Amino acid sequence: MPKKIYDVVVIGTGAGGGTAIKTLCDAGLKVCALNAGRRLDPEKDFRFHRMPWEMKFRGLDDPKRRSESYGYLDNEYTKAGWEHEIPFTTAPGTKWMWPRCFSVGGKTNFWGRSSARFGDIDFRAASLDGYDVDWPITHDEIGPYYTRIEKMIGVASTVQNRPSNPDGSYLPPFKFRCLDRILEAGCNKVGVPYLPDRCAQLTQPHEGHPACHFCGECTTGCDVGAFFSTPWFFLPKAEATSNLELRTDALAKNVLTDENGHASGVAYIDRRSKQEIEVYSRSVVVAASCVETARIMLNSKSRRWPNGIANSSGQLGRNLCDHLYGESARGYLPQLVGRPPFPDHVGDSTIAWMPRWQNLKDPQEEKFIRGYSVYPDGGCEEFPGFANELEGFGSSFKCEIKRRYPSPVSFGIQAPSLRSETNYVDLDPEVKDPYGIPVARLHFQWDENVLKMWEHSKQVCAEVLRAAGGVLEDNSDDPQIPGFSLHETGTCRMGNDPMQFVTNRFGQTHDVPNLYVCDASVFLNCTDKTTTISILAFSLRTSEYLIENFRRGEHKAA
Amino acid sequence: MAGQGIQRREILRILGTAAAVAQFPGFSKWTFACGHVGNAALQIKPAVYHPQFFSSTEYGLVERLADMIIPSDGTPGAREAGVAEFIDFMVAADPEVQYAFRTGLTWLNAHSERRLGKRFLDLPPEQQTSLLEPLAYKEKARPGEDEGREFFHRFREYTVNGFYTSEIGFKELDSPALKFYAESPECPHKDDPEHLHVSHPIS
Repeated sequence: MPKKIYDVVVIGTGAGGGTAIKTLCDAGLKVCALNAGRRLDPEKDFRFHRMPWEMKFRGLDDPKRRSESYGYLDNEYTKAGWEHEIPFTTAPGTKWMWPRCFSVGGKTNFWGRSSARFGDIDFRAASLDGYDVDWPITHDEIGPYYTRIEKMIGVASTVQNRPSNPDGSYLPPFKFRCLDRILEAGCNKVGVPYLPDRCAQLTQPHEGHPACHFCGECTTGCDVGAFFSTPWFFLPKAEATSNLELRTDALAKNVLTDENGHASGVAYIDRRSKQEIEVYSRSVVVAASCVETARIMLNSKSRRWPNGIANSSGQLGRNLCDHLYGESARGYLPQLVGRPPFPDHVGDSTIAWMPRWQNLKDPQEEKFIRGYSVYPDGGCEEFPGFANELEGFGSSFKCEIKRRYPSPVSFGIQAPSLRSETNYVDLDPEVKDPYGIPVARLHFQWDENVLKMWEHSKQVCAEVLRAAGGVLEDNSDDPQIPGFSLHETGTCRMGNDPMQFVTNRFGQTHDVPNLYVCDASVFLNCTDKTTTISILAFSLRTSEYLIENFRRGEHKAA
Repeated sequence: MAGQGIQRREILRILGTAAAVAQFPGFSKWTFACGHVGNAALQIKPAVYHPQFFSSTEYGLVERLADMIIPSDGTPGAREAGVAEFIDFMVAADPEVQYAFRTGLTWLNAHSERRLGKRFLDLPPEQQTSLLEPLAYKEKARPGEDEGREFFHRFREYTVNGFYTSEIGFKELDSPALKFYAESPECPHKDDPEHLHVSHPIS
């Protein structure tokens, strides 16, 4: 029997892979998708409106498992989704956290949903401030893809005319809560923007998907699909075309190549049988998420590609960037102390944002280059976490918790690291995973620029809080360790020069014309915006470019 | 998925809830606190709770401390919410904190005998309070009680965790979390953005 040859093997079913799978299947291409973990069942694997007292450990998780937990999204409600069977190592001095969602749909099952476009201020940042290089793309080119993605997934926001933030087409925004009105007034006094976030959460029914019911449990998985994830929005459509074969528990090992060094398929580990299996195709899309994509490609060694596939530039795995996250300031609003509780947590922390306001008129006006954004949050949450910082006990303590319940506020920073020679992913020469495959080794330090942003944000957020009439309790935290944000970019950067970049401006690798990359690894840096909507837009563009190459006969049978 | 109404979701929710609760029998007040599930079988209440980690003497002290931290004072407190059971369960599940809890309780009794000549549970309520205050308030802190302050802070954290993750704790706060809303809730004080003139009914 002749071996089956697919048109495309797609590695990964998250934001990048899911978009590619749907787009390619819609165009009639035969797709084999590989996903490292299993399918989730919302009723069993999502929180599904379970209250804390219905959980064995009240949602606080088994203490014995504490050391295995990876970040805030990996918790008792969602542990089925996060798997860390595959280890990684860090170079001396590097701290890195790498939460991985192996389930079908990847991190789109639990993502934060903030969805701002990148703009020309990001694409042309190097021309503005002289650091690093420009992106090989403008907002004019990618804008229409953002517009189509916004229409597909539904993003709630407003037109804001901010120089750093191109506007798109939006569903009605989340309405401002009491705490937003108060902080907005404070921001107005300080001269900092306070606006509805771009939130991919359906404030009205959209494209056959139900409106949000505002329960606030979004990051533990939505049981009705009222925010975008590939299992709710894209994969069912792809499966309906009959062009998709989705293989689960299929951990991609390496891209296979023919005698010319072109991609001819993918070798993967079937995690159930522990056997290595090969699947063949005319082209390959890698969308395993930034660090894993680099690992797979670095592990794809052959006589033609001794240092990893499509790595003639030596840039594969290099240029790793990440968002610095941390709580720039926290405190409370006396205006809300003693107020009746208000449903503040319905958007699960992305109702409002303070979009980048630094270095807009002049790229060098601050002590740092580029800029950061801030997500304010607070009010009545599920658990009164502030209680442990109050003094005392007894009736007065109990009463003070109730009085203070609507009043806490905090500010979370999202600040981009700069591209650096010393931040990268390579393969650990010694350590292998349980299947004998070399693991990723991380080399990463926060740079001076991003740490200056962090210090700046602590001072501005404290000022905003005071101007709002609030009480500052603390702005002396350390930032989270690298990797926490889940927004790593780089490792396969796109650019016109094959000597300097892994992929071209369409996400096609320079060296291997039938190998494409559809995740945040093609981004030149992470900007002050979140990555997901840009992964979707860039993946849509890359997928259509790939389809066009099939139409033109560029990708022939192996 | 499309057009799935609140009612359908509510049915699924109740099914999901019942399945989840059914996995964790053996708690008396805790299971009782799940009474809204509407499944009579789940409300069968064991007569006596048998601590998994603490001795019965220690457990009496755990119950008293939790009760003092979040008292039953017109609204239900730690006692009704079964917080002592929660603490026992969490400590039993966590070898890393067991030593600290055991030595902390021992310290409190020794401290009580040293200062007031009796074990903590044998003191009248006012004297119990007077022993805890230096552990709970910075300005009342006394030298030589660091170990006790650390223990009290940890114990209070477990009490807060246990109480405010219970159904009774949610009701105490009138928590608006995890409910369904037809529309994105909006601030009602349109003409007072800084909220300088709103009332503060909870005192």
